[in-house]
Amino acid sequence: MLFNSIEFLIFFIFVTTLYFGLPHKFRWLLLLIASCGFYMFFKPEYILILGFTIVIDYYAGIWIESAKTPAARKRFLVMSLIANIGVLAIFKYYNFINDNITGLCNLFGYTNQIPYLHIILPIGLSFHTFQAMSYTIEVYRGNQKAERHFGIYSLYVMFYPQLVAGPIERPQNMLHQFHEKFTWDYDRVMSGLRLMAWGLFKKIVIADRLSIVVDAMYSGTYGYNTVWVFIGTFFFAYQIYCDFSGYSDIALGSARVMGFTLMKNFNFPFQAKTITDYWRRWHISLSTWFSDYLYTPIVINRRDWGKWAVVFGLVFTFFISGLWHGAGWPFIIWGVLHGIAMSYEFMTKKWRKKTFSKLPVWLNNTLSQLIVFLFLQFVWIFFRADSFHTAFNVIKGLFNYENFPDQFPAFTAALRYSLLVGALMLAHFLVFEKFWRNEKWSKKLDSSVGLRYAVFGYMFLLFVFFGSFKNAQSFIYFQF
Amino acid sequence: MEQQQILEQLNEIFIDVLDNSDIKLTEATTANDIEEWDSLYHIQLVVAIEKHYKVKFTASEIQSWKNVGDMANAVKSKLGA
Repeated sequence: MLFNSIEFLIFFIFVTTLYFGLPHKFRWLLLLIASCGFYMFFKPEYILILGFTIVIDYYAGIWIESAKTPAARKRFLVMSLIANIGVLAIFKYYNFINDNITGLCNLFGYTNQIPYLHIILPIGLSFHTFQAMSYTIEVYRGNQKAERHFGIYSLYVMFYPQLVAGPIERPQNMLHQFHEKFTWDYDRVMSGLRLMAWGLFKKIVIADRLSIVVDAMYSGTYGYNTVWVFIGTFFFAYQIYCDFSGYSDIALGSARVMGFTLMKNFNFPFQAKTITDYWRRWHISLSTWFSDYLYTPIVINRRDWGKWAVVFGLVFTFFISGLWHGAGWPFIIWGVLHGIAMSYEFMTKKWRKKTFSKLPVWLNNTLSQLIVFLFLQFVWIFFRADSFHTAFNVIKGLFNYENFPDQFPAFTAALRYSLLVGALMLAHFLVFEKFWRNEKWSKKLDSSVGLRYAVFGYMFLLFVFFGSFKNAQSFIYFQF
Repeated sequence: MEQQQILEQLNEIFIDVLDNSDIKLTEATTANDIEEWDSLYHIQLVVAIEKHYKVKFTASEIQSWKNVGDMANAVKSKLGA
């Protein structure tokens, strides 16, 4: 079920009403049933995969906690990790690994006999397996008590707002909330609804509109040249931001309506002045996951290598992060480029500080933000292009300075409309976000009902007149 | 060695590694309080502390630290042992 669908609207109203109508002791059951329904909307039989890992991780948590020896604790953790990574490996990486084996075989003149698997990737698999692993790791580290209530543990993995595209929660933040009783609080409910509305606006008015132009550029129908590629990649940066942060807003908002607090996933990422800073602001729940469970242990164990331990940790972690996003080499390239950029920043930090502190602060900040944004815009080409072939054509096009205005008349009327409306709505978005970012203004919006009605009323009008309804798209991150 | 003395020495190490002479550590200081102290530089701090006191921490010790006080305690218990 997509958050941007009529089905979800009905589902949300129905579940939330029942939630507040039921006594506390039945609410976990309602949420669990609702979450199962939400998941089964995509492909019902895949609920069995979830069931499999939930049962294993539930018992792994209890066994880790009650194990007598450190070796036994470790054994149960490893069992849980193998089960989770195993499911990921089969459903997400089997064919990718197989393709690479085929490539290697061909190189040496053999034929690969391993059969191809014809399966559809279960939705949100990478998200909920990571969340499940976070549970057993935290129990292993002694930061979380094993959950004894099987229904509540299942709900931790399956809670519908964050089931298919995060935020990837930690047990310390989530599990206790399912035991708590939340009452109806008008202000909280309204603030949750407003967050959902803002998320829907970002998705339907911005992301889905920009995607029409982005798709047209990447399709190659109109050729590639500097201006056209720049527009397409610029729009994609905002498309993916509005798509994914819009999803997170709806997730956080719908949970907040019921009283749950999910972790913040975005913090104005395009304000970042370094790539390192960007990863503290973009998909925070994933970057902290990697930092806590992969990067930090690697670097601690390799710390004898000095600074190179950090470089190795960064590149390796972002290699895995690329792979997490998608089973394909372009995603890996995208990840590794981020790892290299952060290593560069780490190695040159003192030098950069000394050199650029001579510039005026505003100029230094503006230039830094611009460089970061252009870097993101560029490396996202690997993320968005469906193959290396397309990615290289797009990059080549970036240096083709010829004939942009000539191709404009060839655009369909619908494309020209989306180009114009997309730019206009993006400008609105930038202004809105500037106000959200400003503490004084966002406080004013919180305290003044009249201003709130004016702003949301205006947004509603934009939504009705310029929303991209014919082109309702799935969320980009659902595929991961 | 006294806690206060360790804290002062840690302060020197922090200033040196993070290249920020304004740092004033207390036991309650966390990574959130110092801009330069992020996960990339954390490990540089650990290495510098280990070198200074000629001690070696375990991975789980390092990961259990929540603030500077925990770090100072860890140093103290290593030196005392």
